[in-house]
Amino acid sequence: MPLSTLANRALERDGLGPIRDKVLAGARLSDAEGLQLLEAKDLAALGALANHVREARHGQLAFYNRNVHLNPTNVCVATCKFCSFARKDDQHASEGYTMSLDEAVEKVLSKRDYGITEVHIVAGLHPTLPWDYYTSLLGRIHAAWPELTIKAFTAIEYHYWAEKFGKTYEQVLSELQAAGLRTLPGGGAEIFAPRVRRKICDDKATAEQWLEIHRTAHRLGMKSNATMLYGHIERLDERIDHMRRLRELQDETGGFQVFIPLAFHPEHNMIGKAFPKPTGYDSLRTLAVARLYLDNFDHVKAYWVSLGERLAQVALGFGVDDLDGTVLEERIYHMAGSTVPQALSERSLHDLIRAAGRVPAERDSNYHVLKVHEQPLPPAPPARLPATA
Amino acid sequence: MPKLKAAAVSFLNAWPLTAGLDASDRIELTLAEPSRCAAMLEAGEVDLALVSVAALTKGEYEIVPGLAIGADGPVQTVLLAGDQSPAIWDEVFLDTASRTSHVLAKLVLDDMGVHPEFSPLPAVEGLARATGTKGALVIGDRAFDVRKSQVLDLGREWTRMTGLPMIFALWAARPGRVSPEDVQELTRAAQHGLGIRTELAQRFAAQRGGDPERYRRYLSQRIRYGLGPHELTGLETFLARAAAKGLLPPMPLRFVDDVVRTTRTRRHVSLDTALAKGAAGERLDEVEAELLDERAPLLELGLAADARRRALHPDGVVTYIVSRNVNYTNVCTTACHFCAFYRPRGAADAYVLTRQELAGKIEETLRLGGIELLLQGGLHPDLAIEWYEDLFRWVKSNYPTINLHALSPEEIWHIARTSELPLEATIRRLVAAGLDSIPGGGAEVLDDEVRRRIAPLKCSTDEWLSVMRTAHQVGLKSTATLMFGVGEEPRHRASHLRRLRDLQDETHGFTAFICWPFQSANTRLTASDGSAHAYLRTNALARLYLDNVPHLQASWVTMGGGVAQAALHMGCDDFGQVMIEENVVSAAGTTFKMDSEEVERHIRDAGFSPSRRNMRYQRLGGAGA
Repeated sequence: MPLSTLANRALERDGLGPIRDKVLAGARLSDAEGLQLLEAKDLAALGALANHVREARHGQLAFYNRNVHLNPTNVCVATCKFCSFARKDDQHASEGYTMSLDEAVEKVLSKRDYGITEVHIVAGLHPTLPWDYYTSLLGRIHAAWPELTIKAFTAIEYHYWAEKFGKTYEQVLSELQAAGLRTLPGGGAEIFAPRVRRKICDDKATAEQWLEIHRTAHRLGMKSNATMLYGHIERLDERIDHMRRLRELQDETGGFQVFIPLAFHPEHNMIGKAFPKPTGYDSLRTLAVARLYLDNFDHVKAYWVSLGERLAQVALGFGVDDLDGTVLEERIYHMAGSTVPQALSERSLHDLIRAAGRVPAERDSNYHVLKVHEQPLPPAPPARLPATA
Repeated sequence: MPKLKAAAVSFLNAWPLTAGLDASDRIELTLAEPSRCAAMLEAGEVDLALVSVAALTKGEYEIVPGLAIGADGPVQTVLLAGDQSPAIWDEVFLDTASRTSHVLAKLVLDDMGVHPEFSPLPAVEGLARATGTKGALVIGDRAFDVRKSQVLDLGREWTRMTGLPMIFALWAARPGRVSPEDVQELTRAAQHGLGIRTELAQRFAAQRGGDPERYRRYLSQRIRYGLGPHELTGLETFLARAAAKGLLPPMPLRFVDDVVRTTRTRRHVSLDTALAKGAAGERLDEVEAELLDERAPLLELGLAADARRRALHPDGVVTYIVSRNVNYTNVCTTACHFCAFYRPRGAADAYVLTRQELAGKIEETLRLGGIELLLQGGLHPDLAIEWYEDLFRWVKSNYPTINLHALSPEEIWHIARTSELPLEATIRRLVAAGLDSIPGGGAEVLDDEVRRRIAPLKCSTDEWLSVMRTAHQVGLKSTATLMFGVGEEPRHRASHLRRLRDLQDETHGFTAFICWPFQSANTRLTASDGSAHAYLRTNALARLYLDNVPHLQASWVTMGGGVAQAALHMGCDDFGQVMIEENVVSAAGTTFKMDSEEVERHIRDAGFSPSRRNMRYQRLGGAGA
């Protein structure tokens, strides 16, 4: 389907005609073109172009899954300045916690009746937990609930364990794979540029290490996701640099499933006072440019916990095809001041998607469609108020 | 013209609906017992009657929209009473007065798993015999005096069972007898009656004894007089449950304004043509507006609206104003279903701001760089025009630089009515006292079909527009608003925009248009699509259709900064207000807050240059730089 007259006129007015022609011809955008789009300041035209690509790939479908989050500990030796979640120890005074294996496993198994297909596990760089804590955690969840897909741990954690336990990346990943690991979340990527990493997360895995871990996972037959934390001290060209490195690895392995830009949240962390939260405009253009620049990524996700439900819904018109999931009990963004709900019902997700004129499609962790909901869900049974005295 | 004949029950809870009909020249009212009212309606002795809901089964009646007697929780005057727990009752005496209450009593007891015998017996006798395993149903004013150890409030029980309000009575009319003007007359009577609930309570106490304060609370907090979507759901649920149990025959609800709509054959228009016309600044007709509303993709509407914004405001400046919202009173007689802010007079947290409080607010506003006071309030039954004139003069003499952007059309209409003055004289006097411009609030959806359902006691579309027309004619500027997502359809939104555009052609008095979705927290109305997506679409459509309104304001207060930035790229050229206080929206659960620095960051980040303005949309040189 061609672009509309209005979209063509707007793109030409803003000097984006040549980029449009490349996009429509399926040609790859250069870094300079990516930057030109980020700086374009014509949100509607940018959105129309990104939406064109999005609809060519996915039609009207908007994906989500039913997932539960598990953060077994928030104790972390890293000192990332944007983080509001980590604590230095698990003492009560510092609000740190570490779940026992039984607790962590039970927390997941208690969600058995919710129709969940994925558990998303991310923790911290805990200084004393032994290696078999992690293997047992995945092993026990997998044994008790084999149909549940385990998506676990960021590259940052894998790197830390490799060093701490004297293992190669491949050993760390394959041992956990044997325990039940199926896919990797995309966290810890932040911004790859060394200038930025030095300033905000000097003591954790470098860009090269992050990418090497994902490369290894892909080689072991596991898919993974990729994120970008934007809206703090990075420059626009450093966002493009970040996406370029992902695009290059994707050319090599094809193992990335989805790109997830994450908006920096400023509360309760070390750099929040100096940097306000990125505006919604910034989020929308970043998502749209990601859709156009990352031509070898199938999916672009607007993580509703990070953007809020309103903006995430609007993003469905700006290149986004995935809203993440029901996310039972999100913790990390909420400790950074997020005021959105900690979970959304499947019905609320459907409502958001339908009101945006899209069709909700439930997916599994690897983006296989489980069910396309052409028809609205049957009405909920009337709410019964609890009896009051 | 012969008067319409009406009958109504004489219970206290009906007084607010009937007191205002005493002096009516359209409707002649007879008071009678509930069963007698139903009989008179059935026999055709009257054209309409305030009857119990169950009486609707007796004929093909039409319901007067918007008005009812109901409760959302305890009602106090529909009770089951006895000495022992209802769980052991084997016989319940039913007061002969009302069939609706019989049905409700049976549904409630059934839900509790109690299945006694039911025997008809007048309440006095029933109550006397309600001991041991016997209970009695008591309704109406005599329920105020029930002294039994076991009392089941059936309003409370119903709401507990269903989460919904219970509707007990409504105005039902014989088919074809009641005109829209009669509906207006009944609505006006209700507006009057609800405004004098305190007096009615005192009058009732004087007649039969008892505490007037207790009756006032009953009229203003227990009984609800609106029939909005939430109440309709309650009514339909009641009828459906009663029918399922065989207690009432199934019955469809018909309303006076349910004139069978002939299927409208719409002229064929292509979406592309409509979009191209809109983008080029050609005038769209209502059919095209409806088509765009229903079908145009978000970004296509956005691109067309952006083209219009660029044509109208090519320099990329986005304005905003620093002002303070002051709600001078939260007392209101209107009780709109979507409002979480207003209180009846005499409520514990009701207030009217004092001069001292107002002075504090104005001084703070000036200190913070504010230039305008947005002064609005409820429809306070005791405040006449002199109160407002004194207030405005006092503001202007003490703070001559502050602009008074005050009084929505609803309030002006109310002041004119309370002061028994013509509209034009009212506005001229307010202007003479210092009024500078008026806000466009209270427009909601300017279509009476919608207004009667969501805000039955508010002024009609014509009334709202006539205030604006008169205000513009005497030289005032105003804004215009739309609150969507209240269950209206595209045709209602199109008709809203048409009415605004028509008036603007006539007066050119509207400076700007602002829309926002209905927010439902703490209110009784269920929202329809009020999503960010719908907001951006509605906004863009308005930019295209309202070709004669110069400015469009983005509503970050309700939608958040990010969605408002997107709106700047889809038709808006103004970022609204940096406000120092806003009670109404925050009472319904919105928490977005920004100071001017944050507003300017949003404007700049989205690619525009910020500039402060006054309420005539004149840019204030340098202030925003």
